[in-house]
Amino acid sequence: MKIIRWLVIVVYFSVAVMPLAWLAITSFKLKEDTISPTAKFIPVASKIESPDGSDTSVLFTASTDAYRRLGAVNIGSDYSFFHYLANSLIIGALSALSAVGLGTACAYGFSRFRIAGAKDWLFFILSTRFLPPLAVVVPVFMMYRQFNLQNTHVGLILLYTSFNLSLSVWLMKGFIDDIPRAYEDAALVDGYSRLQAFWRIIVPHAATGMAVTAVFCLISALNEYGFAMALNSSRAVTVPVYFAGLQGNISGVPWPQVAAGALVFVVPVAVFTVLVRKHLLRGVTFGTIKQ
Amino acid sequence: MKFLRAIGICGACILVALVAGCGKPDADVGDAAAKSITIWWAQWAPAEGLQELGNEFEKETGIAVNVSQIPWDSYQTKVFMNFANKRTDFDIVVGDSQWIGVGATKGLYLELTDWLPTAVDMDAINERAWRYLCEYPSGSGKYFAAPCETDAIGFAYRKDWFEDPKEKAAFKAKYNRELAVPDTWDEFRDVAEFFHRPDQKRYGCAPLTGRAYDSLTMGFQQIMWTFGGSWGDPETYRADGYVNCEASVESLEFLKELLKFAPKGALNLRYSQTLEVFKNGTTAMVMDYFAFFPEAVDEMGDKAGFFIMPRKGDRRVVSLGGQGFSISAKVPPEQQELAKKFIAWFLQTDIQKKWITKPAGFTANKLILQSEEFRQATPYNEPFAESLEHLQDFWNVPQYSELLSVAQKYVGEALDDVKTPKEALDAIAKEHEKIFAEAGLLKEE
Amino acid sequence: MVSQRTGLLKYGFVGPALVVLIVLNIFPLLYNVVLSFTDAELVGGGARYVGGSNYSRVFSTAEFVEAIRTTAVFVAAAVSIELCLGFCLALALQRGFRGKSAILTVLLIPMMLSPAVMALFWHQILSGDYGILNHILAAVGLGQPEWLTAPGLKLISILMIDVWMWTPFMMLIALAGLNSIPQYIYEAAEIDRAGAWRIFRRITLPMCAPLLALAVLLRTTDALKQFDLVMAVTGPNDAATQTLSALLFQKVFGDGKTGLGSAYACVLLVIVIALASVFTRYIDFIQRKQGKTQQ
Repeated sequence: MKIIRWLVIVVYFSVAVMPLAWLAITSFKLKEDTISPTAKFIPVASKIESPDGSDTSVLFTASTDAYRRLGAVNIGSDYSFFHYLANSLIIGALSALSAVGLGTACAYGFSRFRIAGAKDWLFFILSTRFLPPLAVVVPVFMMYRQFNLQNTHVGLILLYTSFNLSLSVWLMKGFIDDIPRAYEDAALVDGYSRLQAFWRIIVPHAATGMAVTAVFCLISALNEYGFAMALNSSRAVTVPVYFAGLQGNISGVPWPQVAAGALVFVVPVAVFTVLVRKHLLRGVTFGTIKQ
Repeated sequence: MKFLRAIGICGACILVALVAGCGKPDADVGDAAAKSITIWWAQWAPAEGLQELGNEFEKETGIAVNVSQIPWDSYQTKVFMNFANKRTDFDIVVGDSQWIGVGATKGLYLELTDWLPTAVDMDAINERAWRYLCEYPSGSGKYFAAPCETDAIGFAYRKDWFEDPKEKAAFKAKYNRELAVPDTWDEFRDVAEFFHRPDQKRYGCAPLTGRAYDSLTMGFQQIMWTFGGSWGDPETYRADGYVNCEASVESLEFLKELLKFAPKGALNLRYSQTLEVFKNGTTAMVMDYFAFFPEAVDEMGDKAGFFIMPRKGDRRVVSLGGQGFSISAKVPPEQQELAKKFIAWFLQTDIQKKWITKPAGFTANKLILQSEEFRQATPYNEPFAESLEHLQDFWNVPQYSELLSVAQKYVGEALDDVKTPKEALDAIAKEHEKIFAEAGLLKEE
Repeated sequence: MVSQRTGLLKYGFVGPALVVLIVLNIFPLLYNVVLSFTDAELVGGGARYVGGSNYSRVFSTAEFVEAIRTTAVFVAAAVSIELCLGFCLALALQRGFRGKSAILTVLLIPMMLSPAVMALFWHQILSGDYGILNHILAAVGLGQPEWLTAPGLKLISILMIDVWMWTPFMMLIALAGLNSIPQYIYEAAEIDRAGAWRIFRRITLPMCAPLLALAVLLRTTDALKQFDLVMAVTGPNDAATQTLSALLFQKVFGDGKTGLGSAYACVLLVIVIALASVFTRYIDFIQRKQGKTQQ
């Protein structure tokens, strides 16, 4: 039994990590090595060319060229990778902040007050999460055209705020339900107003929950592709849309730069994943399962 | 609280990155006062030539020209998504030939009928360029674009392999004739078969089969026309009996046969990818638009040769390419005036003579096209100039994009063996007639 | 007095979020229904009312049925493979060992990454020519399929990427299910000398089932939207991989038929809303159950 268990773990682990490892390796290659007919997986400082020009070695010369080129503008796009990264981060961060702000207030309302049809509202909020972006993109597109919100950061921030609200309300409701009512009641007796109690008591106690929620919102906004692509053809293009647009590049896809860019893009997400790992379960099940 | 601090640190890092990222102000925001025009075109060599000419224009007039290049795969989608806005980000779009119907009828392209004769000597331009790239509806004398680039599909081939005495002898022994650039599709098949040696990582030919945008359709239709089929009757818009006639079916079967001699991944080769299998030295003959061939010469030097689409019997048809300059109807009049200024400047004979010196600067100017100077300028100009006599285009009615995605999908299914060629073409005939009927174009027999 | 003030205040708390949701979710949904009865196009204005003709076109064309089939096959295969793999992994990882939390965290990373970006990079793994997968297959003497272009394999490639990304999700929830089974039940079973298989069938599986069902519902609603991977691997107009979302994209942004696209969207929404209502009911059920056990 024990052997089988370990076999499962080791085999799955190595298969699952392989793409990530390959991503890291690819980012240190030169372009020829990424499309070479022999696999190149061992980096060396400098490779000795074989005399007859044939190239069947598994070695490749490690280079940070791809990272340096991230700052350069690729043919076929208007800006360098960092411009798109900044777009992604601005849109992600602001939409996460507003989703958490609105979500916390809303969750507090549902947690502490009697609201008519509270349960129905909550399930309505949850169900908005399941709308396929492509199914609502047409009317959103037409609305945005009316208000000139296409190709703007604000447009995507609004959209991602609403997209993440369901997650934020549900997660925050779980966190706020865990804060004993007695804390606020004491504050109210001391002469705090409701708003003051919310601001001085609930927000500090829910700070961890808010941070966790913000991370989840940020990640889902960074990763979103459908809306970002459909609503943007030029100014507020995000990283996933930028990468997708590299397909069909006539000088071929610049694989090392794609790998380097993906890595730069993915590392913060991985770091955040590690930070919120204890709350991951809560995050992916909308707070349904608390551990 | 340790956790909070960690999140805080990450947040701070992001802020620093943001500040660093935004440190460089956007070029277009910085000098909004200066006059400039933006041109959108697909990503390929001629767009760079256009940018170089644009720089000269800026030196002469002070009006800056920015050419944005977008990969072919997403070019159409991006342009039309932009046209859906109230104002477009481009002043001029170098629009693909089939777009002219949509551009003209949906109020996207500025009508140039009255302006063009004042800006350019209309007779100097190739009639096909006017008809296919600029005029809508055909024969109406209404123009919505000015000629920019004319183009056609051709083949690039490995000249060094064809000239190798050993190969020549082996070919003669096998096929009992000289190894030469194929003139007919049957010869083409033999040559492809001859060079196809997968064990040596050498492949015979790479037709266009890309499923994104239009490359599969552009690659297939010329074989269909050459074999005697067609998309339909342009008078009645009947497709049944044309696109699924025997000759059409035969041509699709022939394309499938060619794929036996194609490199790996040949079921989905876009423009950039047939070029890639040529540049990596594995494939003997690859199909692509001539305007992509500067890249082939850059990489392969004099190992690369070029030839015109083969014929069958006495018929030779080549898929038209090329684009005209269209001015966006969704930019302010001042911008439209600047755009006109640039187009008029570009079409002057002197500038056109410079245009042909740029890689794949395929002018529509008849005299220049026929000049010895042009034919000798690059190894691909000669077969290109010859191809111009044999051009045909896909439907260019406003519904073309629907027609195109139907064609792409079902011809693709035939290549994938999901449908037989007959079934696939029957499906296209049915769907195309449905689209024509809905648009009110289809005439009852 | 006081109650009246909180009466307004409570709507001040919940109101803004609800307004945002209604404006950006409910309004578009209704607008979508309106659009689906017109011949609106992506460019050029002037949409006319065309009655149910968009719907009759949706249901009369083969591509809609094909897209439903492709989507269904994809969802069924993806969810079941991920469930089985994830559950096996959870069983393997159930007992504690040194470095478990580090391994768990690494395993969870793929599901947090951007599908569009990772799918593009997967070309480096799956490409018939230079992909690492075929290099590995060649090294062990197996065939070298064209993962990204061979007719039967395109959908499987998308499936592989999806399984790579989402198996950890199933594992995470399955682990929670396993951990929620009290140890004394196993101990009691051991006293009864029940065999390992019997314990698994009679105790482990039934007690995990509610959470596994939750995971399956979550994944199903998510897999139903599949779009990012399709775009990156084959593009939206390949019959073999055209999911409902991809078909919708092709209609609206490829063909410019906004009205027709909206009709497709409405049909897709009916399916999604049906599933989502099953899902929300189930969440309600689980929450009540959790509430009971906590009391």
